[in-house]
Amino acid sequence: MYDFIIIGAGVIGSSVARELSKYQAKTLCLEKENDVANVQSLANSAIIHAGHNPEPGSLKAVLSVLGNKLYDTWEKELSIPLLRTGAFVAAHNEKEEIIIENLLKTTIENMVPEYEVLTGDEAREIEPNLAKSITKVLSLPTTKVTYPWEVAFACMENAINNGVEFQKNKQVTSIKKVNGFFEIEVNKEEIYQTKYVINAAGVASDDIGQMIEEPPFKIKPRKGEYFVLDRRVKGFVNHVLYPLPSEKGKGVLVTPQVHGNILLGPSSEFIDDKFEASTTDEGLKYIKEHSVELAENIPFNMIIRSFAGIRSTSTCDDFYIKESKTNKGFYYLGGIESPGLTAAPAIGPYLVNEIIGVGNEFELKSDFNPRREPRLEFHRLPWRKQQALLDEDHLYGRIICKCEKITEKEIIDAIHGPLGSHSIKGIKKRVRAGAGLCQGGYCEEKIMKIIARELNISPLDVEYDDPQSKIFKEETKVDE
Amino acid sequence: MMKDVIVIGGGAGGLAAAIETHQSRKDVLLIERETFLGGILNQCIHNGFGLEVFKEEYTGPEYADQFIETFLEEKIDYLLDTTVIGLRKENDVFFVKTSSEKDGIRFFQAKAVVVSTGSYERTRGQISIPGDRPYGVITAGSAQRYLNIDGLLIGKKVFVLGSGDIGLIMARRMKLEGAEVLGVAEIMPHSNGLTRNIVQCLNDFDIPLYLSHTVTEIIGDDENRLSKIKVSKVDESFKPIEGTEKEFEVDTLLLSIGLIPDVTLLDELKVEIDSRTKSVKVNQAYETNIEGLFVCGNALQVHDLVDNVTLESKRAGQAVNRYLDKGKADVHQSIYLNPGNNLGYVTPQRIDMDIIQDYITLSFRSNKKMEKAICKVFQNEDIIFEKKLVFVLPAEMETIKLPFEKINEVGDIRVELEVRS
Amino acid sequence: MKKEFICIVCPRGCHVSVDDEMNITGNQCPRGKTYVENELIAPTRILTTTVRTSFEDQPRISCKTDKPIPKELIFEAMKIINHIMIDKDISIGDIIIENILDTNVNIIATKPSRKKE
Repeated sequence: MYDFIIIGAGVIGSSVARELSKYQAKTLCLEKENDVANVQSLANSAIIHAGHNPEPGSLKAVLSVLGNKLYDTWEKELSIPLLRTGAFVAAHNEKEEIIIENLLKTTIENMVPEYEVLTGDEAREIEPNLAKSITKVLSLPTTKVTYPWEVAFACMENAINNGVEFQKNKQVTSIKKVNGFFEIEVNKEEIYQTKYVINAAGVASDDIGQMIEEPPFKIKPRKGEYFVLDRRVKGFVNHVLYPLPSEKGKGVLVTPQVHGNILLGPSSEFIDDKFEASTTDEGLKYIKEHSVELAENIPFNMIIRSFAGIRSTSTCDDFYIKESKTNKGFYYLGGIESPGLTAAPAIGPYLVNEIIGVGNEFELKSDFNPRREPRLEFHRLPWRKQQALLDEDHLYGRIICKCEKITEKEIIDAIHGPLGSHSIKGIKKRVRAGAGLCQGGYCEEKIMKIIARELNISPLDVEYDDPQSKIFKEETKVDE
Repeated sequence: MMKDVIVIGGGAGGLAAAIETHQSRKDVLLIERETFLGGILNQCIHNGFGLEVFKEEYTGPEYADQFIETFLEEKIDYLLDTTVIGLRKENDVFFVKTSSEKDGIRFFQAKAVVVSTGSYERTRGQISIPGDRPYGVITAGSAQRYLNIDGLLIGKKVFVLGSGDIGLIMARRMKLEGAEVLGVAEIMPHSNGLTRNIVQCLNDFDIPLYLSHTVTEIIGDDENRLSKIKVSKVDESFKPIEGTEKEFEVDTLLLSIGLIPDVTLLDELKVEIDSRTKSVKVNQAYETNIEGLFVCGNALQVHDLVDNVTLESKRAGQAVNRYLDKGKADVHQSIYLNPGNNLGYVTPQRIDMDIIQDYITLSFRSNKKMEKAICKVFQNEDIIFEKKLVFVLPAEMETIKLPFEKINEVGDIRVELEVRS
Repeated sequence: MKKEFICIVCPRGCHVSVDDEMNITGNQCPRGKTYVENELIAPTRILTTTVRTSFEDQPRISCKTDKPIPKELIFEAMKIINHIMIDKDISIGDIIIENILDTNVNIIATKPSRKKE
């Protein structure tokens, strides 16, 4: 019998897991995918917004402004990479400048700690590639960019380190309320029992709710497509650039990323299939058309990839973070779309302390360790540290991913460990091998061989992502 | 410890340049990132190499072996399993930073550097084919490596995008090793590969070639594996024509959509780039605007015949020898070359008149198919040289020898192609 | 019924047709006629492929037919080659299969086995 079962290990589920791991409560996190952060948290802009446009007083507003601040603590405790970019919200004419003024009011009401209005020219002094048509900007210096996979990994690793159990490839197939506890059926065969259920299932959070009651909201999933520019465009812009927000969302942005890449996007459209994240001709065209409104000379020839992400827009306007009205002990984290990533550090404590009140029933752990060691990025370390590591392990000397300078030892470490990955995609999420200019052309074969060797399996059993997604169909000449 | 020259890359280009410089008694070090020499030739197990250089037809590994044998016999200094991770120039010395499992991080110094790092393949992400992102979409070269080196088959129901030779060769290879190959799509109205390959890779195996077609959508299954592609006919502006969409059930899409010279090593240096070749600008000695830095082979421009890589890299090696013997020039008297009518690009992009040779090898590609053509070299709007050519194709790089004496001291050069009757 | 060929003797790539009475048209030179006649009567090809080895770090070695073999024997030849397992050192040109399918053509190695460092 568990005290808490968390359904979903995206950024939100992981943040809750970490918060719960502070308490002497037996906690399990179940994730249906083959990895942490594999659906919404997999594909988004990676922005930690300032909190400038959610409705004042809403959870979105309060938790994102608080979350933004808490990332400073997370950076230190959990070694989460942060890029302090700041942001400009752009206006192109008088009509839009009025909207900027309104946005400023919202910014102030939401208690965003820093903000400034600049003329287009002043902004262009700071960002020379800003579009010439921009006449005014709202500057939001507290805007940051992070690496969402690493946020989820960091929270979950820390949670595991502090006693939380994590299981992947476990899809919840039914939930029953029995005599004061819940029975959770997984993959149609296993049963877990728990006193409390935390539904952090993202786009499927209404489906999970549907298993025991009429859920208090419906997810209306939206898709957003993006282009990724190679990290050699680093410095093209240094701020996150926003257009004015509309009912479609924040609009097509130009976003510098932690490793130097730049994202263009997202587009925004409602989709029927919750897990359908394909890119479309129209979506990609839309991004190209609108990103030029923000910046001049966008180096489109440096596009190395496009992808699509899903957001769990819901029939509620705000985050739905409440206990079920009908089934006590069942808690919803619903509609956590943007600014979900921003609010993540605040959502965990908010749910655990304010909504559940875990401290009323469970003691804090005296040996809770808030620290999680940073993931080693060898070629970003200072020279002396590199030399010391090379003395420890020669495999730091063999470069596997030439484009991003990722070493064999980093890949081996990404395979092993409590949150290690056995798949090509999982390795890429952890250490970026294959995420560069050649998109795995040079290194995928080598990574495949390392996985096979480290796990003592045949290359035929190496997975791309899903356990069923093996890379190879067969070895030639073997069955003859 | 100062070397005369460091050659980066041990494929066809690097081997030829290293042998050439070593035979002129220069102190050479060759650095190769793989655990073997020969580069991409190792996986090109098909025929067609060496007709120009050896007057014999070899497979890729046999061709490579000719040079590897000479290289090893000459006892040229080399490092395997070593990646160059930094290249800098300070005063007149190049600093080459390497990383290997065996020796950790090391620094080498050299008076000259030859970059012969080959090219990488254009990917799906770069041409933004819409759809899902399942496993099974892979470049033809990667599939070739898995198949010919590792003996592993990516899939059994294959479609190929791009009718360049690598796509055609792999269509045949996959078929021979037991896969079904459902077709090859080529966005242009004509094939990009050698006719011989159309006949012996496609026609021989009844693999259909869909000209003026391209892949318009990629669809994966629930396990995130490729399951279907949509292929449409395109118009003259390469836009998909409505109503022409065909669906193919495949588990593998091989991409043969172009090679891009790999000059990422030069990120830290301020080299001049030619946006047409996507590589560096060089003079007739294959030297970049940075003195002592030479680039040759596929890293300079995409070649179709490895013989040309060998010949070019040999010339680059000779140029390195000259550079080391004479030292850098105080001032270059430079003439710039530009592509004119019907030319996609021309190399070299610059001729330094103080480097005197009998003739200069111009390399270029036509934009159009021409059965009979004439190449005209203009300087100051006068024709200084002409050469008749036959069977000119965008898919085949051409070379002509421009006699040095024909070039005037001053005035930029324009190279053009015209149809001749 | 007409049969269509593309001649590969020179880059011109003439499209050559042959009708039921063996009339050959479309070639712009006599070599084209000879090529098509060969393709009709006895088409041959060089086969290049790989062969399995027992070497862990070199699971495949490339090979070829040392002369062209009849085109219709290609898949059968592949089957025979696929049964071979090389387990000793081999050099370029070494015969892997002698006189495959009674054609007087040998399968020879085109890559040497890797020397142990």
